[in-house]
Amino acid sequence: MADRSQHVKQIMENQTRYNLNAAIESWRQELAAQANLTAEVRRELETHLRDTITGFQQRGLNDEESFWLARRRVGQPQQLGEEFVKADPAKVWRERAFWIVLMLSIVKLWFTTSDYLLRQINSAIWSHHLAAPFEWLYEFNIPLFDFYLTLLNYFPILCLLFFLAQGRMDWVGRLFQFIFRSRLQFVLTALALVLVFDFYSDYSTVGVMAWPRALWFFQYCSNFLFNQICLLSFIFLIAWLMPTQNRKTPKRA
Amino acid sequence: MLTKDLVAASSKPLLLSILAGGESYGYEIIQKVRALSGGQIEWSDGMLYPVLHRLERDGLIDSEWKEADTGRQRKYYFISADGRKVLKTERQQWLTVHNTLSKLWKIKPVTI
Repeated sequence: MADRSQHVKQIMENQTRYNLNAAIESWRQELAAQANLTAEVRRELETHLRDTITGFQQRGLNDEESFWLARRRVGQPQQLGEEFVKADPAKVWRERAFWIVLMLSIVKLWFTTSDYLLRQINSAIWSHHLAAPFEWLYEFNIPLFDFYLTLLNYFPILCLLFFLAQGRMDWVGRLFQFIFRSRLQFVLTALALVLVFDFYSDYSTVGVMAWPRALWFFQYCSNFLFNQICLLSFIFLIAWLMPTQNRKTPKRA
Repeated sequence: MLTKDLVAASSKPLLLSILAGGESYGYEIIQKVRALSGGQIEWSDGMLYPVLHRLERDGLIDSEWKEADTGRQRKYYFISADGRKVLKTERQQWLTVHNTLSKLWKIKPVTI
């Protein structure tokens, strides 16, 4: 009986125990709502908050007291955002521009690839008469099949955006970390990707390999530059806008 | 307690001086300033980082994310070569002010 009452007491204590991690998570979300604070700044402020909490805990304060005092010391998220804008107004916009251009490039790269894939799927469907059951739709002027194909084109992009917004795609973050380790690494990776996609698409659709070898190389290069000028501009724009901090180990004085 | 203006004006030489003594991170810097000033200089935690970032942008300090002994990732700041030059100038200027006031208040001046 005594054991049972002890167990119930323990459960109640656990239920009322302050959840420090949940409190930090909630604070982090408040901070994330401040558009003026970059991801790196938020990470730095969180480390500071955790250090301050540890400092208070070492002085004998409990989790809840430590969190509230640390939060007060670090400052209100809105106030922090304003302080950072005052210190460097251009930086926030630079980072926003970087993400916008990056997303535009991903979308452009995907559509370049998927257009080719969908053309292949479409031709396979029509050549094998797989679309026969849907042909009656065209009599009513309903291009339903084309609609589904177009939807297929947009679906992965929508999925990617949804999962990124939900914070459920850690591997994307790790991939970005790898690609953006240095400007050179990013430019080389992006160029290789564009080159592969462009070559595959050009080779399959135009059959450039049939041309004389010397001519083919120059023809391919000029085609590449002409077709991918938009994507290449994006790549160099992203490299230029890339956050400049901690890309490399700095030299000490 | 110091006035807000004086706290803001002294933040640059204080930060450069602390970092001239070795790399450090935000929380540690605040603790050092508090301890050195006997609690007279109270920097708000949120105010420190914009100043650090401004100094970094001006090329006076550099930073690097590193894993601390606790396993926590921290951003460490350290002084650059330009920062040392600026610190030298700042030191001369602050000592000039200090010596002028010392003479006026008849306190023993400090050698620059």
